[in-house]
Amino acid sequence: MRERMKKVKSVQYPQHEISFILNGKKVSCKTKGSAVLLDVIRDVFELKGTKPGCHEGECGACTVLVDNVPVNSCLFLAVNADGKNILTVEGLLHADGTLDPVQESLVQNGAVQCGFCSSGMAMSLKALVHQYENAHPVAGEIKKGIPSRDEIKKHLEGNLCRCTGYVKILDAAEKLFLNNE
Amino acid sequence: MDFNIITPVTVKELLGTMKKFQKKKFRFGAGCTDLLMELKRNPEENLTVINLSRVKDPLFTGIKKSAAGFRFGAMLTAHKIMVNEEIRNNFKVLHEAAESLASTQIRQVATVGGNVCTASPSGDMACALVALEADCEILGITGKKGMVPITGFFTGVRKTVLKKNELLCGIFVPAKNKKSKNIYSGFVKIGTRQSMECSVVSLAYHIQADAGGKIIHAGVAIGSSAPTIRFAEDAAHYLVGKKFENISVNERKEFAARVLTYATPIDDLRATAWYRKEVLFNISKAIFENDAKNSR
Repeated sequence: MRERMKKVKSVQYPQHEISFILNGKKVSCKTKGSAVLLDVIRDVFELKGTKPGCHEGECGACTVLVDNVPVNSCLFLAVNADGKNILTVEGLLHADGTLDPVQESLVQNGAVQCGFCSSGMAMSLKALVHQYENAHPVAGEIKKGIPSRDEIKKHLEGNLCRCTGYVKILDAAEKLFLNNE
Repeated sequence: MDFNIITPVTVKELLGTMKKFQKKKFRFGAGCTDLLMELKRNPEENLTVINLSRVKDPLFTGIKKSAAGFRFGAMLTAHKIMVNEEIRNNFKVLHEAAESLASTQIRQVATVGGNVCTASPSGDMACALVALEADCEILGITGKKGMVPITGFFTGVRKTVLKKNELLCGIFVPAKNKKSKNIYSGFVKIGTRQSMECSVVSLAYHIQADAGGKIIHAGVAIGSSAPTIRFAEDAAHYLVGKKFENISVNERKEFAARVLTYATPIDDLRATAWYRKEVLFNISKAIFENDAKNSR
């Protein structure tokens, strides 16, 4: 896409002040109206775990959670993050330095090879975990079952991986839910 | 890619913004998944994007059911359409179209209004809405609303009847015919893979039959087969009066041939025109086999 871009005379447009919760902390910054969330996360807050893959919403390497739902941060306007709760892969790490069960499962099941898709993959799986409360049981809460392998596949359709062939990733996802059952 | 952005939060503010920019160059942004891609490839100078994602008004985000039908705001995301029980139970074609759209991440932000207004010949939800013979509710700059049938909404590739001072605010899908007891409804999308795919051809159908199984009303639409999504009216009419379960092989072929008269596909990177026609013929013929078991 880079070479496909046409050069256009640059005009100064007004900047926008945005504040949101980034990995549990309230943050704010100034941004261009046309900036996407991916650029703000990486360039302003210097969190490089969110990967720029295709910039076209195809590969899912840039997946982050906005109010617990997965979005492609490369196609999400930064101004629309204002007031939202954003979680990136850095936010998965627990305060004591241990990994989130999602990450732990990916590591334990050999679902990480080159690693470029892994942060996006972890975020998409985290979103799936949010949908199934039983994965993080709260005292007294009734279990609502676990997703089938087909459901996991459908959920991960927007995350491309060129190394693993997906089998280990699906294994990791299944075991994540089984272990938490 | 650089542009100015304005984010109105009420309908009043939105109309005010439209008035202010009436003489200037502006575009509407809903989910922006398509708009950002387009502007990355073809940046425009001095462009203002009117960002609709913060307009909190039932006009844009509400869902309302009445005896006449089902009305939903244009800013509903594909995800919300997909998980809506009412849509799943009554308009399966729209549910399936939303479910087949792009990916989990895109469905969270892409909107039904955006899918319609981008007027791509391959729009998934748009194709389903044509088969459902939906109406487009259009909001004018003065705040006046009007209705346009979706079958007449598209005028060309990425072109619609919308004027610069108008925007789509909602979609109305008429309720089923009172006599309708069995509905055969579905969305068939052919692509080189299942996810994240712009269709090679698509077929949307919503066929209503009475208690005896006789077809009383049918809507059929095709995507990626012509410059716009086409409503295959003649093919749909052909089915009326026939029993869905008893449609013969010759009648299936006749139906498929009639669908094909609406197709003027092109050769492109996804498929050749010849292939598109062959596939369209075959999937049209096959709906009677696929759907016999899935009626509701």
